[in-house]
Amino acid sequence: MSTIIASPSVRAAARRQGVDINELAQRLNRQQITLDDLNAKAGQSPAAGAQDMNQYWDVDHTQYGALSQTETSKFDRIAAANLSAANALIPQVTHHDEADLSAVEKLRAKLKAEALSKGVKLTTLAFFVKALAVTLKQFPKFNASLSADGKSLFLKEYVHIGIAVDTDYGLMVPVLRDVDTKGVLQIAAEITDLATRAKNRKVGPDEMGGASMTISNLGGIGGTAFTPIVNPPEVAILGITRTRVTPVWDGAEFTPTPMAPLDMSYDHRVINGADAAKFMATLCKTLADPRFLLV
Amino acid sequence: MTTSVELVVIGAGPGGYACAFRAADLGMKVAIVEPRAQLGGVCLNEGCIPSKALLHSAEIIKEAHHMRDWGLDFGQPKIDLDKLRGKKDEIVASLTQGLAGLAKRRKVEIVSGYAKFTGSNELSINGESLSFEKAVIAAGSEPISLPGWPEDERIWNSTGALELRSIPDQLVIVGGGIIGLEMATVYSALGSEVTIVEMSAQIAGTADPECAAILHQTLASEGITLHTNTGVTAVTATAEGIELSCEGAFTGTLLADNVIQAVGRRANGNKLDANLAGVEVMDNGIIVVDEQCRTNQPHVFAIGDVTGNPMLAHRATHQGHVAAEVAAGHEAALDTDLIPSVAYTQPELAWVGLTVAEAKAKQVPHKTTSFPWAASGRNLASGGGAGLTKLIYCPETHRVLGASIVGKGAGELLAELVLAIEMSATLEDIALTVHAHPTLSETIAFSAERALGTLTDL
Repeated sequence: MSTIIASPSVRAAARRQGVDINELAQRLNRQQITLDDLNAKAGQSPAAGAQDMNQYWDVDHTQYGALSQTETSKFDRIAAANLSAANALIPQVTHHDEADLSAVEKLRAKLKAEALSKGVKLTTLAFFVKALAVTLKQFPKFNASLSADGKSLFLKEYVHIGIAVDTDYGLMVPVLRDVDTKGVLQIAAEITDLATRAKNRKVGPDEMGGASMTISNLGGIGGTAFTPIVNPPEVAILGITRTRVTPVWDGAEFTPTPMAPLDMSYDHRVINGADAAKFMATLCKTLADPRFLLV
Repeated sequence: MTTSVELVVIGAGPGGYACAFRAADLGMKVAIVEPRAQLGGVCLNEGCIPSKALLHSAEIIKEAHHMRDWGLDFGQPKIDLDKLRGKKDEIVASLTQGLAGLAKRRKVEIVSGYAKFTGSNELSINGESLSFEKAVIAAGSEPISLPGWPEDERIWNSTGALELRSIPDQLVIVGGGIIGLEMATVYSALGSEVTIVEMSAQIAGTADPECAAILHQTLASEGITLHTNTGVTAVTATAEGIELSCEGAFTGTLLADNVIQAVGRRANGNKLDANLAGVEVMDNGIIVVDEQCRTNQPHVFAIGDVTGNPMLAHRATHQGHVAAEVAAGHEAALDTDLIPSVAYTQPELAWVGLTVAEAKAKQVPHKTTSFPWAASGRNLASGGGAGLTKLIYCPETHRVLGASIVGKGAGELLAELVLAIEMSATLEDIALTVHAHPTLSETIAFSAERALGTLTDL
């Protein structure tokens, strides 16, 4: 008996359509096949389409040369499934902007020694987190999640920020809670704590999930721009690449200015392009003048 | 007679007429070639239907007898054999006439006679030629006659037994399969002393041993003698009766007024000159077909008993539809292994799907669960005797893989499980389906609940 679950009418319909049920089940990575699956074959859903593509990388690579094979980790597999689903299901747009960090860097230099005396390493990321929290408060649609049926929007009154952390086990996203109520020093301390524990795999499940938005910071590594993938059920993600000192024309002269490239991918079902541009402009303005962090 | 058709069906049994009617409904010009005067084949004329009429009589006799314990004494039944035979024939006649009407309405031509192939697209019937585009061989099977037996009219096959010529005092049935067991049930109820001789260790061949044992015990308690592991070494016809020398678990001589040979059926594939159409037939008369019922010749199909085991009418019917649809250009196939088997004995024995023996042989992970009918309120309240409902399931997924039921009405109860297995139902699906109380069908839900640990009736 076949291990594939399909009722007699489904098997008959598959035969009429010339569909091999076993092959279809394998491609959909499922055990049960229904009439819906057969009908969906004509107008394939994006997710099914993505799964269908898998056959194209079922390749015997040894025919091209020597190689070794390692198993992907459980972490990697969960992340892969989530990313595939997010990429297939969410219509995403990435908006690019850049923030003048002159003031943030001046402030950071000033506070650095005092922070260290309290045992805190004050990073630029802490300012990004705080600035993002302040901006989110002004744009409720960005601090939101779409219901599963797409019929309602949940607007969050809290501001939690997820930080993507690269660990030896794979990508993890611990979440800083209630960032809007916390100062930059405390944020910096919490980032260090969470990131360290994430790398040692010491983050509890309650410390992940529920973010308003996630930050993926590649600034310490490099790059001029990238297109992060929205981490559902969040509706936007902020990517940061390396700050570069560039000549900025202020109307009279070129001033060497540290500019941070920012890339925000967002769920276009919830957010439109103009809102995204305004959101990014506000974020950049907040970073350019840290006094806004207090307002 | 028509000289050319799109589709010719050879044989008007349950497979043949179903095929012809379906093909006609799909718009084909169809003829059936049938030597019998009536449609319906063995099933209707000398198999399923007449045997059920006699088994119904047997059931009434037995039930009336058992009601003595309830304080209801109907006395000894007076059996008017001619009238009983007449009633049986009347039922058969009404059904065959009904079939003739269905054929007429569909403009399916009935050609009377034996068909022989004379070429790849041509048949000869009583010397007349009929050309066809496609053919379906539905020529059925016949009872096997054991070699070395004397020619004697006191020796019957299943067809002879159903003619109800007389009620022998001493009846020996050689073969403890479904047909032998049903004949034993009929004649035992009518008053014969019945002895069954079976070569293998178990009656009802491939049935679940636990369920077969319950049937065995019940038949024995009703006065039927069963000799399993026993072979017949010699048969002689004498003035007193037929003498059978037996060896094995029972060694000795049996003297019978009549003997029924019920040792299986042989496919009729060799009777049609099918080779002249290029169709391969095996030495045992079986024509091998694929799941679309095609022979090695793409325009010739075969269905039913002539395609081998299991030789059952309901398999033939489904194959008949498949062959008709494929012949008419549709995509169809017999896409299932689930052919239910039912012995209409008292109690009935019915099974479908994987048996424990098959699961072991194929190394399929399996577990069994069961519910004894002694704990079924409905069974006790209906005067039902011993019974068991048994499910075979996958321990990992809880999918039901097979089922066996022994007990009153088991054949009807089995249908739920055939559907359950076709739909890949799990024990949970069955347990969570509300079964009416009090019914025998509850024993199916109780078996599932028992495996799940949710049963409160045991």
